[in-house]
Amino acid sequence: MKVSEMEMISPTSVHECLHALTDQQKSSRLIAGGTDAVVRMKDRNWMPDIWINIKGLKELRYIREDASGLHIGPLTTHTDIVKSELLQSKADVLTFAAKEVGATQMQNMGTLGGNLGTASPAGDTIPALYVLDAHIQLSSLHQIRSVPIKDFFIGPGKTVIKPDEMISDIVIRPQEKNEIGIFEKLGPRKAQSISIVNFTASLKIKAQTRQCIGGKLAFGSVAPTIIRAKKCESMLLLDPLDEHMIQNIAKVAWKEVAPISDIRASANYRKDMASALLERGLYRLMKRWENK
Amino acid sequence: MKNIRFHVNGKESNVQCPPAKTLLDVLREDLELIGSKECCGKGECGSCSVMIGDEVICSCLVLAGQIENETIITVEGVGLRENMDIVQEAFINEGATQCGYCTPGIIVAAKSFLNSIEHVPTTDEVKTALGGNLCRCTGYQKIIKAVQTAAKIQNPFYAVK
Ligand SMILES: Cc1cc2nc3c(=O)[nH]c(=O)nc-3n(C[C@H](O)[C@H](O)[C@H](O)COP(=O)(O)OP(=O)(O)OC[C@H]3O[C@@H](n4cnc5c(N)ncnc54)[C@H](O)[C@@H]3O)c2cc1C
Ligand code: FES
Ligand code: FES
Repeated sequence: MKVSEMEMISPTSVHECLHALTDQQKSSRLIAGGTDAVVRMKDRNWMPDIWINIKGLKELRYIREDASGLHIGPLTTHTDIVKSELLQSKADVLTFAAKEVGATQMQNMGTLGGNLGTASPAGDTIPALYVLDAHIQLSSLHQIRSVPIKDFFIGPGKTVIKPDEMISDIVIRPQEKNEIGIFEKLGPRKAQSISIVNFTASLKIKAQTRQCIGGKLAFGSVAPTIIRAKKCESMLLLDPLDEHMIQNIAKVAWKEVAPISDIRASANYRKDMASALLERGLYRLMKRWENK
Repeated sequence: MKNIRFHVNGKESNVQCPPAKTLLDVLREDLELIGSKECCGKGECGSCSVMIGDEVICSCLVLAGQIENETIITVEGVGLRENMDIVQEAFINEGATQCGYCTPGIIVAAKSFLNSIEHVPTTDEVKTALGGNLCRCTGYQKIIKAVQTAAKIQNPFYAVK
């Protein structure tokens, strides 16, 4: 297949798009912002017969709240997320993460659905979706199903999305009044800043104290998929989060993550950095909590 | 081949091309708008920056089939020698361009940024806004200064933060 021979269709509704996905005669792939898709096309990795262009599907670009949670359309861009007052107040971690996805141009182009679809262990919005208990809604012509984020990824670049399905909604729980989040990232220069390690936390803290009463911690880029740091999470509840306690949790984080070595960093460096990001992140989070 | 209709710099354009051709190649080859430059081809350098609507994007990662009915502004649409924009004048006056390869992309990114704010931006704000644009010559100081100067000229009543 040559790039010059590739076809493209631009469905005008989700229904039309799902129809196109059921046609298995020719290979096809969805393209939204194209920031992963076009790079991989140029590398000759993704060479479908047909691009299904969903960039114009306005019905999949929204941020709203109802009784079942906060709903984010898969075509919502990182810029939309950063600017959303609803998410700033009820899903602060996700806005912090979206702010760190590449530079301005990438935030204007890249979408939340695309970040999930690429399924990179370094995808910056994904740990935030873990700590906010996201459910990914997958639609095909015949059914709609909802997959908890922890079951959504099977490995680097692999998800449970079937060939005739697409992401049609992303649902997260709103943070509670006493809940506060943080996102920390280590990467090269901003414009190409694929994370070497990233760390996300969302903690509930008892009013006027430093006592955490529930919290979730997630790391990106330290395992084939995002991981929750469960041992560290259980430590959060033991004692008030003072300097000493935060340092202890950071030590446990070093043991809990199991990264690999690759061209971007060695395994040991990643362990050190995971620990350091957790320590820095929890300090900053507590500082913000005190000033709130 | 596909027939694609869109607006560039205020004019309606009609292009016959493969739908997976990049917008950058369409602008340069089909429309002879050669201001936008290719460097990395992967979204990392910003030299291909153009606006779609009022947002700056990298035209090397947009496919032609995706721009049907869109409104695009390239550096030529920001201003040409005879009708230079204040951003371009500020770049000349502050000496913010050397080899000039990055300049068209930076002008477009700066213009889009200035359109979105109503004050004179701080150095950090300019750095964030232009974080996707690489320049190997100037060292950035003069670029940042030029963007701030343009903001002041754009509206002398703007607050300096
Ligand atoms: C220079 C550069 C810097 C970057 N920096 C970062 C960074 O710092 N952090 C980070 O996390 N990422 C980064 N990225 C990667 C990329 O920008 C993000 O992953 C982005 O969110 C992808 O969104 P998109 O809309 O462009 O996806 P596309 O490229 O359009 O699609 C990506 C994949 O998702 C699939 N897909 C898209 N929408 C759906 C849907 N609704 N249902 C099912 N599948 C779908 C597509 O079929 C494709 O396989 C960077 C990329 C570049 C080029
Ligand atoms: S050429 Fe498009 S970002 Fe470098
Ligand atoms: S002036 Fe030469 S790259 Fe910027």
